[in-house]
Amino acid sequence: MANLGDYLLVSGLLFTIGFAGVMLRRNIIIIFMSLELMLNAANLSLVAFSRYRVGTDGFPNYNAQVFVFFIITVAAAEVAVGLAIIVALYRARQTTHVEDISSLKF
Amino acid sequence: MILLFIVFCPLLAAMLILAGAPARKTALWASGLTLLATIVAFVELEGDGFSFVTSLPISAEWRLNFTLGLDGLSLVMVLLTAIVTLAAVWFTGKISRHEHAFYACLLLIAAGAMGAFASLDLFFFYAFHELALIPTFLLIGIWGSGNRSAAAWKITIYLATGSFILLLGLIMLYRSVPEAARSFDLRLLQNAADTGQIPADAQRHIYLLLLLGFGILISLFPFHTWAPQAYASAPAPAAMLHAGVLKKFGLYGLLRIALPMLPEGTRHWAWLLIILLLGNIIYVGLVTIAQKRLDWMLGYSSVMHMGYIFLGIASGNILGTNGAAILIFAHGLSIALLFAIAGEVRERTGSLLLQDLGGLAKVMPMAGLAFGLGAFASIGLPGFANFSAEVMVFFGAFHNGADMKGFHIYQVATLLALWGVVISAVYMLRAYRATFMGSMPEQWATLSDLRARLRLPIGMLIAALLWIGFFPQTFVRVLTPAFRTYFSVK
Amino acid sequence: MSSLLPWSVLLLPLISAAGIVLITRRWPAISAFVSVGSAVIGFACSCAIFVSPPAATAEFTWIDLRPLLYVPLGLILDDLSKMMLLLVTGVGALIHIYSLGYMRDDAGKSRYFASLSLFMFSMLGIVLANNFVMMFIFWELVGLSSYLLIGHWFERDSAAEAAKKAFLTNRIGDFGFMLGILMIWASTGSVLFQEVASQMGRITAHPGYLSVAALLIFCGAVGKSAQFPLHVWLPDAMEGPTPISALIHAATMVAAGVYMLVRVAFLVQASPQALTVIAWIGTITAVMAGLIATQQNDIKRILAYSTLSQLGYMVMAVGLASGEAAMFHLFTHAFFKALLFLGAGAIIVMLHHEQNIWKMGGLARKLRVTFFTFLIGTLALIGCPPFSGFFSKDAILALAFEKNTAIFALALFTAFLTAFYMLRLVLVVFFGKPRSENAEHGKEAPFVMTGPLLVLAVPAFLAGFGFFARTFLHVPHAEGAGHLVPILATGAMLVGVALAVLLYRKRESDPIDFAIFRRRFYLDEFYAWLIGITQELLAKIAAFFDRWIIDAGGVGGASGATWGVGSLLRFLQVGNLQAYAFLFGLGIVGLIYFTVFG
Repeated sequence: MANLGDYLLVSGLLFTIGFAGVMLRRNIIIIFMSLELMLNAANLSLVAFSRYRVGTDGFPNYNAQVFVFFIITVAAAEVAVGLAIIVALYRARQTTHVEDISSLKF
Repeated sequence: MILLFIVFCPLLAAMLILAGAPARKTALWASGLTLLATIVAFVELEGDGFSFVTSLPISAEWRLNFTLGLDGLSLVMVLLTAIVTLAAVWFTGKISRHEHAFYACLLLIAAGAMGAFASLDLFFFYAFHELALIPTFLLIGIWGSGNRSAAAWKITIYLATGSFILLLGLIMLYRSVPEAARSFDLRLLQNAADTGQIPADAQRHIYLLLLLGFGILISLFPFHTWAPQAYASAPAPAAMLHAGVLKKFGLYGLLRIALPMLPEGTRHWAWLLIILLLGNIIYVGLVTIAQKRLDWMLGYSSVMHMGYIFLGIASGNILGTNGAAILIFAHGLSIALLFAIAGEVRERTGSLLLQDLGGLAKVMPMAGLAFGLGAFASIGLPGFANFSAEVMVFFGAFHNGADMKGFHIYQVATLLALWGVVISAVYMLRAYRATFMGSMPEQWATLSDLRARLRLPIGMLIAALLWIGFFPQTFVRVLTPAFRTYFSVK
Repeated sequence: MSSLLPWSVLLLPLISAAGIVLITRRWPAISAFVSVGSAVIGFACSCAIFVSPPAATAEFTWIDLRPLLYVPLGLILDDLSKMMLLLVTGVGALIHIYSLGYMRDDAGKSRYFASLSLFMFSMLGIVLANNFVMMFIFWELVGLSSYLLIGHWFERDSAAEAAKKAFLTNRIGDFGFMLGILMIWASTGSVLFQEVASQMGRITAHPGYLSVAALLIFCGAVGKSAQFPLHVWLPDAMEGPTPISALIHAATMVAAGVYMLVRVAFLVQASPQALTVIAWIGTITAVMAGLIATQQNDIKRILAYSTLSQLGYMVMAVGLASGEAAMFHLFTHAFFKALLFLGAGAIIVMLHHEQNIWKMGGLARKLRVTFFTFLIGTLALIGCPPFSGFFSKDAILALAFEKNTAIFALALFTAFLTAFYMLRLVLVVFFGKPRSENAEHGKEAPFVMTGPLLVLAVPAFLAGFGFFARTFLHVPHAEGAGHLVPILATGAMLVGVALAVLLYRKRESDPIDFAIFRRRFYLDEFYAWLIGITQELLAKIAAFFDRWIIDAGGVGGASGATWGVGSLLRFLQVGNLQAYAFLFGLGIVGLIYFTVFG
């Protein structure tokens, strides 16, 4: 049986992969996807905590699972707005390379 | 009611001018009516406490009201503002571009000053002064001469820094009073201070901040270097308003807030104030002697004379503070006159370098007479208000701690300040001789004198100076009740 | 009604001055009439006051901040001030009339008469003031009037400089004066002469303080009465029109210092140290000025230095604790010095503004009335009996003989010098052959100028006689002095006259040449140097410090530092989105660390 630690390990690995993607990838869409990956890693660890931490009355703490729903909703909204910005950016700059967008450089 | 008129008439006029009303006429009428109202207020002033108090509640939770009121001290300041504003507007010559904006700026400065002096509420006291900063920036930056943009930036940023330090001090003051008595109303704050509710420790810190903040606004040594450059580059009416009126805001603040509410702070930092004011008088006096241009000399001289007013404030008795208040009035008028004439000379000769000028009294007799009167007034010739005030300042300062065993700090300070009288005579007479007397270079033979209408504002300024010079008791009578209350508490 | 009379004497000249400036400026003849009229009426009123003095006069409040400071504007009418009132208004009126002739063709006639009226107002204020501050007010106003009148011909650089010098030197004296007043007020609590006099007990317990205060008050007199070391303005003041030299710089303004010292005699005489200093300064001035006068070639300068010398005598008398002797000499000196100056003025004008005595000569025959009156004035000045100067100088010499032999010797030497240089003047100007075109064609001055000369000659002759001295000036009749002093004085005078005749009879140019006297002991150069290394140098250093250290260093430094920090921080804006995200992440980690573990 998998226990809490395993789930957290997976969650951590997912988070790291996502973070690495945000830092190291050049395509802005890929960065965005990595960002989603980070969010879902957080979701996973929340659900794991909810499932494995049983309260004194015998029931698991459902607050974490409710929080997951919030995160999913917010992520969806963020994706909608973010992708719209990316499309507008592509139309303005004709590139998805994040290194090419540096007008505010000193 | 009358106070609302006095404060909002210039403001209203400024907005009307910006909206398109005839600029010069509106400005003249507005300042004239304001002066009339001020004189009426002077006659109707009640002896004790604040008169004409009008109060509009803004926020009950913060205990913030828009309150206006006049006592002897603020009346003197308001009278000064009204007279100098009228003179400044009158002396404005032809403005080649954005004439409406120019007059509007002048009136906004006047409105800011009036509001600040008439405010009984700490918040609006500060806010009205800030109102006057931006028009100053615009006046110097757009219509100035010489290195005007540098001068405009310098004065604005420097004074904004001073205002910021002042704000810190005022906030600390507000918060130092215990919760129950806390208010923005100056009268309530004064009550709290009188009943000893402001802790001594806090008083020392707040006083230092206020001294620094107000000091920068007043060009206290060593925070004075913004003044000469700004006044040299400013158009004459702006210099008149700033040196004559706006600079006095800081002094008024010291007399209204710092001195009465923070006696422990005043006592603790007296030595610092004395050293700095002597720097103003002696050091800046010497710098003034070395100046080679008339406008720079006038700018530095206005810095120097602040030292006397500081001496009156530092003297710690009713004689000195009376002198300080009257000297504020006197100096404002005399420096306005001097800057006005200097501006007229610059318009005609293009240069105020003293070695280029000379003998101008021959072709400009009215200017020569007016400048001469202003010069002698400012160096403290009896008959003018400056002397009456300086007498009170010197006597008041000398009195502090005087005994027959020798000279202590206040007596030495008075001695050095008295020497300033010689220094000011040196530079002022030299400048007058170099500009208006002696042999005249060929090129100035065709200059025209001041336009005849200017006789009226000049006459007004001189008349006010002579009136208080001959009858200083007029002001002493209204000022004493304003000061007596907190001096009797001490 | 009669209590307003003194006030009208004081205010009439002020009204005249204001009227001229505001109304009659464009009509010089009317301005002159107004001014002269006010002077004559003033004299008439002074006579009335002298004959029947009012019991009390109205007093007005100038500043009332009791119990700290109370300054009234009130008038004092004792024997001293009534006498002085007559003197000032009398000589003043005569000079007003004389000016009608002297300034007839002057372009600035209105301005001249306005300033002259202002001067009368100020001087009368000094005479009538009943407290220190009021006297100081009029003291400075007299300085202003002097500035305006010396600088009357302001287009001349020399006149402008002289006016400035006069005012500044007086200001230095006023600095000391005000400080002295402050000290007196601080210890007695009042500025009124009578109250201070009654409170003297408080200060006499502190002799050091008292001496300093007395000497500081004396400073004012040093400036106003042109004593050493503040004497340098008086000779330069000759740049002004000659009637002014007569009125201000001979008879009245410079006498104000002596008058003030006599007015506060209760203070000055309470301190022996102060008296000694005062006496010696008077003596030094008298001798020094006398020496300088022997080598001057401008007729007005000679008279100016002579005035300095005689003022030295008066101050010496004050220092020898006799205000009466000082006032006596002030009184007689006013008449004969005014006479001499007006006579010089007549000569100058009739010789088309020639002032060098070596370009005159032989005028005794051409300007008879002027010569006659000038001679009377000279005889009075050198102390020839029975002219007025003899008696007044004798009073001072007798005092010196009694009290201080060294001072007596120097005073006697000065008497010798006075006779010497005055006779030199008379011989060179009036005798011998005319030495220039102007002198050739000189003729007598019009009556409006010679009239006052004749009027003045009378008191120059008579004013010394015992009747006047004892009745009006309370000069003690020195019975025991014997005849030694008058004999010595007359002897010194005769030696001076003889030496002058010997050296200067029938000369074309000056046979002796002492550069140190001619160059006025190089004091002007010394002062210029002194001011150069103190005030000017300090001013330059201060200006440099202000411009480069406070402004460029302090303020410029602050703004420069802000710029510098800003230009460093901008390198954080790398323009790379991922770098920003990384820093963002670091920040969050740091925040978590500090909130949880901090």
